[in-house]
Amino acid sequence: MANISIRNVSKSYGALNVLRPFSLEIEHGEFVVLVGPSGCGKSTMLKILAGLEPATEGQIFIGDREVTDLAPGDRDIAMVFQNYALYPHLTVRQNIGFGLKMRGTDKTEIDRRVDDAARILEVTPYLDRKPKDLSGGQRQRVALGRAIVRQPQAFLMDEPLSNLDAKLRVHMRAEIGALHKRIGVTTVYVTHDQVEAMTMADRVVIMQGGLIQQIAAPDELFNNPANLFVAGFIGSPGMNFLNAELRDGQLTAFGQQISLPRATTHQGPVVVGLRPEHLTLGEGPVTFSVRPTLVESLGSEKYVYFEAEGARIADGEDGKSKGLIARVSHSGTLPRNEEIRLGFDPALLYLFDFKTGERL
Amino acid sequence: MRRTFAQSLALYATVIFTLLMILFPVYWLLVTALSTTDELYRLPPTFWPADPQWDIFARVWAAKPILMWLWNSMLAAVGSVALSMLVSVSAGYALSRYSMRGGATMGLFVLTAKMLPATLLVIPLFSIFSSFGLIGSLWTLVLAHSTMIIPFATWMLKGYFDTIPKELEQAAMVDGCSPIGAMVRVVLPIATPGLAATALYAFVLSWADYAYARTFLVNSPDNWTANLGITTMQGEYVTYWNDISAASVFIALPIIAIYLFLERYLVGGLTAGAEK
Repeated sequence: MANISIRNVSKSYGALNVLRPFSLEIEHGEFVVLVGPSGCGKSTMLKILAGLEPATEGQIFIGDREVTDLAPGDRDIAMVFQNYALYPHLTVRQNIGFGLKMRGTDKTEIDRRVDDAARILEVTPYLDRKPKDLSGGQRQRVALGRAIVRQPQAFLMDEPLSNLDAKLRVHMRAEIGALHKRIGVTTVYVTHDQVEAMTMADRVVIMQGGLIQQIAAPDELFNNPANLFVAGFIGSPGMNFLNAELRDGQLTAFGQQISLPRATTHQGPVVVGLRPEHLTLGEGPVTFSVRPTLVESLGSEKYVYFEAEGARIADGEDGKSKGLIARVSHSGTLPRNEEIRLGFDPALLYLFDFKTGERL
Repeated sequence: MRRTFAQSLALYATVIFTLLMILFPVYWLLVTALSTTDELYRLPPTFWPADPQWDIFARVWAAKPILMWLWNSMLAAVGSVALSMLVSVSAGYALSRYSMRGGATMGLFVLTAKMLPATLLVIPLFSIFSSFGLIGSLWTLVLAHSTMIIPFATWMLKGYFDTIPKELEQAAMVDGCSPIGAMVRVVLPIATPGLAATALYAFVLSWADYAYARTFLVNSPDNWTANLGITTMQGEYVTYWNDISAASVFIALPIIAIYLFLERYLVGGLTAGAEK
């Protein structure tokens, strides 16, 4: 186990910068998730950390050792791949023991450690099978077994759950979390799924376009997003955004003047963020009327889609936005196109700079 | 889905027809070998000789240095397979895995060599070999056959390597292998069917060659390959087709043996289970 220090690592292919200078200090035993949309540079960062791709600039330390120019096998890390990358010609036992064998570990020691790892991951009955005779979940466990058996300084995981079906994914998510608690190895986990990031991480690194947007604990990210991108990325359904005008602490939105409880000196156009779950059915400190364009029922909850002047599509969405969303507790029926009243507390509004998208 | 009777009928008819197409020449070779000279020219032809001449094989074996010819063919083929596999595996792997400036163009250029007819290459090869004093040596065949095999084999193997996910090598490298180690310990074992198919292709191509052997070896009877040897059995006035057919049976046998040996490796789906 060790801490990991990534110092100003960047990666470019010719003129194309896929990773802008990236710095991150990961504590010993910490579980850090890199999350972002595809092409944000998260997998590139993980490959650089693993030594599978060279960094254009910067340094990487694992423990006290600089590993920037070391081969993957000399970094004392283990990696779990998205497609598992099990060796198809070897049995489960040989797959798990492969890394130990490459390091010249004694045969009886390999057997002992493979048996231990297999017991932890409950794959003992399959040790003599080939990967093709295993189910997706079992293959995932073998891939994890291959990682833990070496007792490395750090685990690197590249979207390890994305090939599993939804139910198994939730199950394995919990198992990986439990495994991390049990063996406490420093882990860097890459995913595009914000739910995985929020549920598993000690700290989340949100990336977009090769740049770190925010590094924070999951709740901190949700409650205090640093900018529009983070605010829109974290949360499901995503935060609602409105273009609005701010003058002398008065916000013009939803066809009315709203007094902001927080003092702000900012003047001019802003982007207002409002989480769907902060909208309530009926009267609130601020109330407005809408005609829902669509109502989705989740049983006790309803997603109410409506249009409002200045509604803004969050960055990175595909433009098929159905307007704004309210997530309200309501078990009855809400007819479409019939006027309803929605309320919210202006203290729960987020304000972002119109030009830079930074939080105000 | 169950097949209907008509579908089954069509399926079996196709299989039987294909088998006939493939097996008839072999059968006819055997009939020709076993027939007496008179019977061979009889019309209509007989489909099985009235008096099969089984002793023809022993007679031909005793009269001609067939074992030596087979041995020479074997040396040339094994040498060609070894040399061309060494080059093609490395080249195919590099083309598949490493992006390099002009790599794709270079790869295509390699393939153009395959598009030239073998006879066109005979002349330059002859002058190169004679300047190195190689004419008459089996090395000429190893080198010449390799020039035919390598371009195609490189592309066959590149295609096969492309189907192997590169995460397997990355996993092997994280597990402590060098890039070469990852290729030898992980990629090549998985590529066994591709390697076997390519080796078989190379072996058959070398074994079946006549033009190069005729050009480079004709004055060195001790190095004649089987195909070259057989053609010398054609007489100026009389040709004993039954003798030639019997010798041909001897020459076909090693190919069948090699195929039976490699068949177990020619199964697909070895990468199954590597991924999700």
